[in-house]
Amino acid sequence: MSAIPRIRVVDVHKRFGTLEVLRGVSFDVHAGNVVSVIGASGSGKSTLLRCINYLEKPNSGEVYIEGEPLGSRLDAGGRRRPRPLADINKMRRELGVVFQQYNLWPHMTVLGNVVEAPIRVRRLPRAEATALAEECLRRVQLTDKAGEYPARLSGGQQQRAAIARALAMRPKAMLFDEPTSSLDPELTDEVLGVMRELAADGTTMIVATHEMDFAREVSDRVIFLHDGQIEEEGAPAELFVRPKSERLGRFLSKYRK
Amino acid sequence: MSEGLRQAFDLSLFWDYRVILLHGFAVNVLVFLCAAVLALSAGLGAALLRVNAWFPLRWLGTLHVEVFRNAPDYVMLVWVHFVLPLIIGLAIRRRVEFHPFASAVLALGLVYSGYFAETFRAGIQAIPRGNLDAGRAFGMSERLILWRITLPQVVRRMLPEALNQFISLFKATTIVSLIAVPDLMYDVSMVTQQEMRPLPLYTGAALAYFLVIFILASGVRAFSERWRRKILA
Amino acid sequence: MGNWERLVWNQRDALLSGFTVTVEVCVIAFAAAIVGGLVLCLVRLYVAPLRPVAVVLIEFFRDTPIFVQLMWVAYVWPELFGFPRSFFAAGWIALALQSSGYLAETFRAGIEGVPRGQREAAFSAGMSPLQTFARIVMPQVALASAPSIVNQFTVIVKSSTLISVITVPDLMSQSQRLVNIWYEPIEILTATAAIYIVFVFLISATGKLLADYLRRRYGLAMA
Repeated sequence: MSAIPRIRVVDVHKRFGTLEVLRGVSFDVHAGNVVSVIGASGSGKSTLLRCINYLEKPNSGEVYIEGEPLGSRLDAGGRRRPRPLADINKMRRELGVVFQQYNLWPHMTVLGNVVEAPIRVRRLPRAEATALAEECLRRVQLTDKAGEYPARLSGGQQQRAAIARALAMRPKAMLFDEPTSSLDPELTDEVLGVMRELAADGTTMIVATHEMDFAREVSDRVIFLHDGQIEEEGAPAELFVRPKSERLGRFLSKYRK
Repeated sequence: MSEGLRQAFDLSLFWDYRVILLHGFAVNVLVFLCAAVLALSAGLGAALLRVNAWFPLRWLGTLHVEVFRNAPDYVMLVWVHFVLPLIIGLAIRRRVEFHPFASAVLALGLVYSGYFAETFRAGIQAIPRGNLDAGRAFGMSERLILWRITLPQVVRRMLPEALNQFISLFKATTIVSLIAVPDLMYDVSMVTQQEMRPLPLYTGAALAYFLVIFILASGVRAFSERWRRKILA
Repeated sequence: MGNWERLVWNQRDALLSGFTVTVEVCVIAFAAAIVGGLVLCLVRLYVAPLRPVAVVLIEFFRDTPIFVQLMWVAYVWPELFGFPRSFFAAGWIALALQSSGYLAETFRAGIEGVPRGQREAAFSAGMSPLQTFARIVMPQVALASAPSIVNQFTVIVKSSTLISVITVPDLMSQSQRLVNIWYEPIEILTATAAIYIVFVFLISATGKLLADYLRRRYGLAMA
């Protein structure tokens, strides 16, 4: 395990108007690890993930990708300046994002969706991008749907396509923002299955989720977010079996069958 | 009255002059095409201003839209042809005159850019925000997002409405004769002065336009039906 | 600029009289268009033998450009039908014909948009078709179409600028007359354009407020 964490979040605060959603969140994610973020609705899980790739700009605090801060950089004279958007975009390539609403682009086929960013952003030649896309679609078991438009796919298929799309950029880490929350229960398993395989392959993942089984079985670490702060964090074996905080205990009991 | 009716529908006169009238009609088509290009580009520009994050740009876009959308075609036509050259002439201290064709294209293009701007804006704002978030998450620049994600979807969504506005623009080109652009109506009035028989000529013009527009409008209607079903599947 | 005062403010009587004529023509045309549109719509929907006539008329009024219709009504109709006897009448008739075509379609969409269940509920309660139409269908059509109807009024106002061509002394006419007298078009025409733009803008804004109010009060999505 390298010394520099793949992703480091330091004291991130985020406010929307007068509503404080994140109140100082800090944690590290090392290469190859899976970190699950759990918590009640409104605890700030989605906002946290959206801050990590600067879809939302943190009001204070910073996010480091392999030691590089996302929000600032050193200019030619060695001074620290805010990072321009074009540069942030470049860094975003290293983070794959899977959204709760899939957000596939409806006017392109599945294959079109997957090759779009590699071609336009990484500037891969089309043949190479297509081969890469086909491999990603194979990984999520969606090869036969490559030529279909998203509207014709089930929710689970759309989400798997979205995962393939994120994988095609060969990111350093994958962010999953409640990937199964929009799915019918029968369809969550196919998506979780793909995510388990990715984890087994050594993908660095941050997953915001309500799926407690997944969090317990697949994560290396679990973070429990409450009201914008980390209430408790640790290995799943401890967190789920012997929660230290009372809130976490109550939260978990709601999910126990 | 039957004498009048017979005269009105004695379209042989209209037919006799068909070459000249066809030329005039071609001028209408040309004005339409040029104005359409202007209306589309200026309309898109204004729509993008309207959805910009920066308030002054938004305000500018709104001003453009409200001024041109609410301006009567004929008023704009006269103003662009008679007033604008004078204003420019005052500014550069020279005598400026606009060719009637240019004035017509400019006036109609600007007025209809107002309508198109609203159409585009509605299309842009109808795109789910998640689509754009996904684009940003992949590191796509705003320009790339605009061209590859926003505009294709805007075109697909708003095509039927845009086609209807094109038809309106085409109908609007009939007024350009009033600043001496030699279009169909201009030729009709010239021939009328010569032949002193307005009935068949104006009736013929009305029927000709009706037929052309009816065919176009029906085509657009049929196409829009199929298109909407395909897009919103 | 002193020119504004001399050319526009001092001529305000002429401009006002022109504006009055414009408003008169537009209001009359608007009323006639609503009536005409309603008649055409009802004939098209409910008077089977006359349906093709209504359809053709609606299409004809909608598809023919307003300028062409204006010329036709002003110069051909008097010989053909004996009326209109004044250019003022020709003006509002042509404007009314054009808008009645659009309104006929608006009304038709409105009527067909009323859910069938509502008619069934009325019949089940013992209401006659006529009562149902008058008390259930038409009020909803009126509410749902109100924004479109207001929009047609703006179309009428904008098209009314053409009646100056057939020598009706509207605002456009007056301002062109002033330009011919004073040979200084900038202030006069710009002021005229501004008057029209502001007038249409106000009508549009009212229409939008009306649409918002109706949507809030009745939850109707049609506009």
